[in-house]
Amino acid sequence: MEGKPYARRLVELEERFGELEPRIPDCSEKEALSVLHGMVQELWRNLRSGGPAPSPGGLNVEDIADLHRTAPPTEGEAESAPLPAGTRAPHFTLSDANARQVSLSDFAGRSVVLVFYPLDWSPTCSDQLSLYQTEQDEFDRRGVQVVGISVDSLYSHRAWAAVRRLSFPLLADFKPKGEVARRYHVWRTGDGFSERALYVIDEDGTIQYSHVSPKLDHVPDIYELYRVLDRVSAGESAGSASSGRPPQN
Amino acid sequence: MSIHHTGPYVPYAVRHAPAVAPVDVYGTIWCAATQAVRRHLERHGVLYRYVDIECDPAAAARLRWTTGGYLSHPTVSVAGEVLVEPSLNELDGALGRAGLI
Repeated sequence: MEGKPYARRLVELEERFGELEPRIPDCSEKEALSVLHGMVQELWRNLRSGGPAPSPGGLNVEDIADLHRTAPPTEGEAESAPLPAGTRAPHFTLSDANARQVSLSDFAGRSVVLVFYPLDWSPTCSDQLSLYQTEQDEFDRRGVQVVGISVDSLYSHRAWAAVRRLSFPLLADFKPKGEVARRYHVWRTGDGFSERALYVIDEDGTIQYSHVSPKLDHVPDIYELYRVLDRVSAGESAGSASSGRPPQN
Repeated sequence: MSIHHTGPYVPYAVRHAPAVAPVDVYGTIWCAATQAVRRHLERHGVLYRYVDIECDPAAAARLRWTTGGYLSHPTVSVAGEVLVEPSLNELDGALGRAGLI
């Protein structure tokens, strides 16, 4: 692979700086050098970007899309284990962001990735669902429909989807709150929202893979998800990757 | 001018820099932003070295050293530019300056 000329001396200096780390014992001077290096890199980065753009008249859409970067995180250990692979996927009908009623059976004949996530606008959920949007062509290529579910209202879903440019359905598990999450054994009673969980449901409506993130701020590995989808597509059983607790009854 | 060095590092004169600007991604398997950066690089056909900071304590120490003490992920090093939790636009800028896209 051929590249254009780049700042080779800078690369060498950066490598040399990195090599020094294990040779300097932990001390305040080492910390100071590290902080200085971080400052130089951040200053350079700000100079390159021209700094944050002013937003006369208040926040623009990009500012709102970036609010999750400074929002408080959702944190906590997983409290439940998902329904195992081989289980018939529980039926549901929920409203999407446009007030259309969407049922699992609407996707019959197509594999579905059911994404349970805690809350719209939260840091990890924003990054996770944006990742799935960016990867939409990979899901399309595999003939897979991504569907998001959280306890947020359709109005929140509508605004959040618009800001993050999400094109797949977001369903409102709003009333009774968390009812579908309970059916799928991913409800967090103390928090009032669901686990971060994935279900891969095959074209016949059978769960082929389930996963609850061990921590709320942990997003399932996209590469593992692709391996699962490819196995399901090949007609192989994909299995479960659950947290430690047994399924709820 | 003489180059004085006492450690094991190789002086500039004999250092063999790669033909292509190096790209390192420091992250974790469960970080959505790390996954987004990795997939972005792959979509652009940019070769990179992925370093899981939870599996490599030495890499974690190196990351703290580079960022001023933060174990932030993803952190991407592109041809000597260290970008802590970059946006994809920022990353594209660095890749462009390095001639990688």
